[in-house]
Amino acid sequence: MILVIAETKSHQVKKSTWELIHQARTSGHETHALLMGPSVKLAEELASGGAQKVHCVEHPLLEHYTNEAYAQVTTTLIQLLKPEIVLATHSACAREFMPQVAARLDVGLASDCTQLQWSDQKVIAHRPMYAGKAIVEVEFLGKGPQLITVRANALGLQPIPKTQATIVKHTLSLGPFKTKMAPLESAQARPDVTEANIIISGGRSLKSAKNFQLLEALADVLGAAVGASRAAVDAGFRPHRDQVGQTGKVVAPSLYIACGISGAIQHLAGMRTSKVIVAINTDAEAPIFQLADYGIVGDLFTIVPLLTEAFKKLKT
Amino acid sequence: MTWEGFLFLILASSSLGYSGYRFQTLFHVLKNHRGKTHPLGNWAERVQTAFLDILGQRAVLRKKIPGIIHTTIFWGFLIISIGTLEQFISTLNPHWSLEFLGTFYWILMGLQDCLTYLVLLAVLAACYRRFILRPEGLGQSQDANRVLLLTGSLMLSIALMHGCELQRDPAWAKWMPLSRGLSYLLENGNPELYAFGSHFFKWIHMLLVLGFAMYIPHSKHLHIVAAGPNTFLKNLKKTKAMRTISFEDPEVSQYGASKLTDLSWKDALDYYACTECGRCQDVCPAYQTQKPLSPKKLILDLKHAMQDQKETILAKNYEALPSIIDLRVTEDVIWACTSCRACEIACPVFIEHTDKIFDIRRNLVMMESRFPPEVQTVFKNMENQGTPWAFSPETRSDWAEGLSIKTVAENPEIDVLLWVGCAGAYDERNKKVVRAFASLLKKAQVKFAILGNEERCTGDPARRMGNEYLYQTLARSNIEVLQRYQVKKIVTSCPHCLNTLKNEYPDLGGHYEVFHHAQYLAMLIAQGKIKPSKNYEESITFHDSCYLGRWNGIYQEPREILRSVGANPVEMKSHHQESLCCGAGGGRMWMEEHLGKRINLARTEQALETGASTIATSCPFCLTMLSDGVQSKMATQTKVLDIAELLNEKS
Repeated sequence: MILVIAETKSHQVKKSTWELIHQARTSGHETHALLMGPSVKLAEELASGGAQKVHCVEHPLLEHYTNEAYAQVTTTLIQLLKPEIVLATHSACAREFMPQVAARLDVGLASDCTQLQWSDQKVIAHRPMYAGKAIVEVEFLGKGPQLITVRANALGLQPIPKTQATIVKHTLSLGPFKTKMAPLESAQARPDVTEANIIISGGRSLKSAKNFQLLEALADVLGAAVGASRAAVDAGFRPHRDQVGQTGKVVAPSLYIACGISGAIQHLAGMRTSKVIVAINTDAEAPIFQLADYGIVGDLFTIVPLLTEAFKKLKT
Repeated sequence: MTWEGFLFLILASSSLGYSGYRFQTLFHVLKNHRGKTHPLGNWAERVQTAFLDILGQRAVLRKKIPGIIHTTIFWGFLIISIGTLEQFISTLNPHWSLEFLGTFYWILMGLQDCLTYLVLLAVLAACYRRFILRPEGLGQSQDANRVLLLTGSLMLSIALMHGCELQRDPAWAKWMPLSRGLSYLLENGNPELYAFGSHFFKWIHMLLVLGFAMYIPHSKHLHIVAAGPNTFLKNLKKTKAMRTISFEDPEVSQYGASKLTDLSWKDALDYYACTECGRCQDVCPAYQTQKPLSPKKLILDLKHAMQDQKETILAKNYEALPSIIDLRVTEDVIWACTSCRACEIACPVFIEHTDKIFDIRRNLVMMESRFPPEVQTVFKNMENQGTPWAFSPETRSDWAEGLSIKTVAENPEIDVLLWVGCAGAYDERNKKVVRAFASLLKKAQVKFAILGNEERCTGDPARRMGNEYLYQTLARSNIEVLQRYQVKKIVTSCPHCLNTLKNEYPDLGGHYEVFHHAQYLAMLIAQGKIKPSKNYEESITFHDSCYLGRWNGIYQEPREILRSVGANPVEMKSHHQESLCCGAGGGRMWMEEHLGKRINLARTEQALETGASTIATSCPFCLTMLSDGVQSKMATQTKVLDIAELLNEKS
């Protein structure tokens, strides 16, 4: 039996979870899904969409992801159901709790796999190494469930028959846990720099946190994220999560607009693979112009508002 | 034997027996350290060093006032000890004396008498310094106070003994010039009292000495026993290299230092030798910018941790030893170091702080995978791209486009290979420096070439960040390439590359004559191949790079180059050996600086204080850090330039 750990996002089963269920079904194994936390609607979605049995664990502590709770529930369910294989998406969460599960069960874990090869009860997981220069084939030795996390979008969706599976509810007593989930901050209206298609970045020459409003105005017109250089983050203008560069986020958007950023190597290392780079800087000698596709030598305080206006007009 | 002699024999043997036992324990704890130390040997040079640095107090005297205080106490202690020894023997055997030495004996007596008062003065000066001036590095220590009190009491007891002696027998007077003064004060005419007094103070002196002997092994005064050997056994290399790990040795299963005993016996001797003078702390860039690292505290923490774990180490129960990080030293301390070596150069007893830090980092990185998250990116880039920054090896020689610089493959007939380094190859700002240097080489008609896209990072950042394995991988691949082209002479703009190529590659079989561009350019100027015009008129200050200065002893050449264009560099508050690091060494270039003030700002402030309109550098990392600093300080009118750029402008 294969147990697939389901992941959900904004009240929907994630596509990557469907990939795992489809893969499990095509392998010929009996396929169960484990759903932690959320509602009945999602369980039904899984039950009709391909899983042959859906295990639901509902608990107030599972409302938001915490690694302790997820690790405990997953471990307990594995001990209870005794699956041969456990599949999870190599997501930020699974990266954290699956190694714990493996340690608690004292079994192996093949992480970030891109292909699964099936034979009888065994599975051979393919995982890339050295940034994809080599592929390792991982086979599990010994008894116990074979734990695998799979990279999202690696397996793809396959046509599989719909199901009408039973939904089993498990009641577990959880805890005690050391971590407690604080109320979540309301999500930013603007996208995160790692996800954005367009990034407007500012450097120290913005002079204050307040002046970043100029960039935010432009970002809102373009649906862009606002990034910052290390200098701006060090000066306290922006939080560290917005930092683009070698020691911050490495990004590759379609359009990167660098405002008042001189282009220190530490910054370039984080954004040089952007498709189109636009630089605005008063210093014509600034290294950023060496890399930029388009450069504007001028004061960002006059240029950025002009751009904002121009894009607004274009949009209307 | 008299009853007095008998009593003394019992007291002396208990005191010396106890202290001997303590020393034996200290010795065994030291011996049970298992790490490798630097090579010994070269005894002739060691003897010479011992004369200069121990008897001559050369290193101690580098700081004038405390140096003079210490030298007085040190020499007083040596000479007066002869008298103390004589007292001991004559107490056991009243008929014995050193008088058979004749005039020399009397001179010795006179010298002892004078030194007694000089040492007393020195102790007073030390008290003034410790209690009134209170320099920060010295700190407050009960232990140190006790030692001063004991030393003072020892001298006072001798002075009073001499005073009474002179009243009893004025014949001694001409050999004890200073005690004569004291003896007048004691005048009251009762000869029996003088005889008693002289005897009484002799006993007080001897008891204090015996007490001191028992106190030494527990205290910072242990340095009077350990500092000598530590100086004699110091690392003699003028230019420093890190210890190389052998990965082929099947016996070795622990890389770096997880436990105290993974360090070497010489490291333990370093702790014993520490005098707690705080000179290392005073010059440490991390300490000065409120990071949790103080080199002095590091050594003392390691020493105290070792004392806490004494029984386990003595029992060789290595398994049961906790890891260093779980004792008194934290990870933040270990990662705060910029490996600038200011502490090592300042240390009067030649303690090597950085080797311990490097060994602890090696364990954290190679055995435990514990390091700041941004370091992962650096390792990955170095592994995949051969450079700490995420740039492709295919674009390594793009900086040379249009300059018609050949690779050594295209042109093997060269005087010297230009080692570009990653900063010179990828950083837009530093590309200008390398272009300027290449242009100077052309003007001087030097035949040179580059490795082009075959060059890789020397491995220095990985090595300093504890990833010795990655360092050796990169180093071996570079050595192979250099070997293929039969490269003998190398010149580079990067002091970090210089240090690695010159001092660290030999351990892996790469032997080259390596120059920094400062040395090479100074040589070309001296040979008349570059003729700079001497018309530089702006004020300028020079920032010493740690890896050029302290690691390789190159201070003069960059300044010579500045003078050759007519500039007259103003020195910053700290310069030459005491220069303050820019904050980028030891892999810190690629790490976030979360704690305390930024080091580059501290250094930039020193540079701006000189009022110079240009800051000259000789290292790509310093150039980056100081340019950043100048921008943060909004001092945009101040230029930050490499010496090669300056010279190129004027040639």
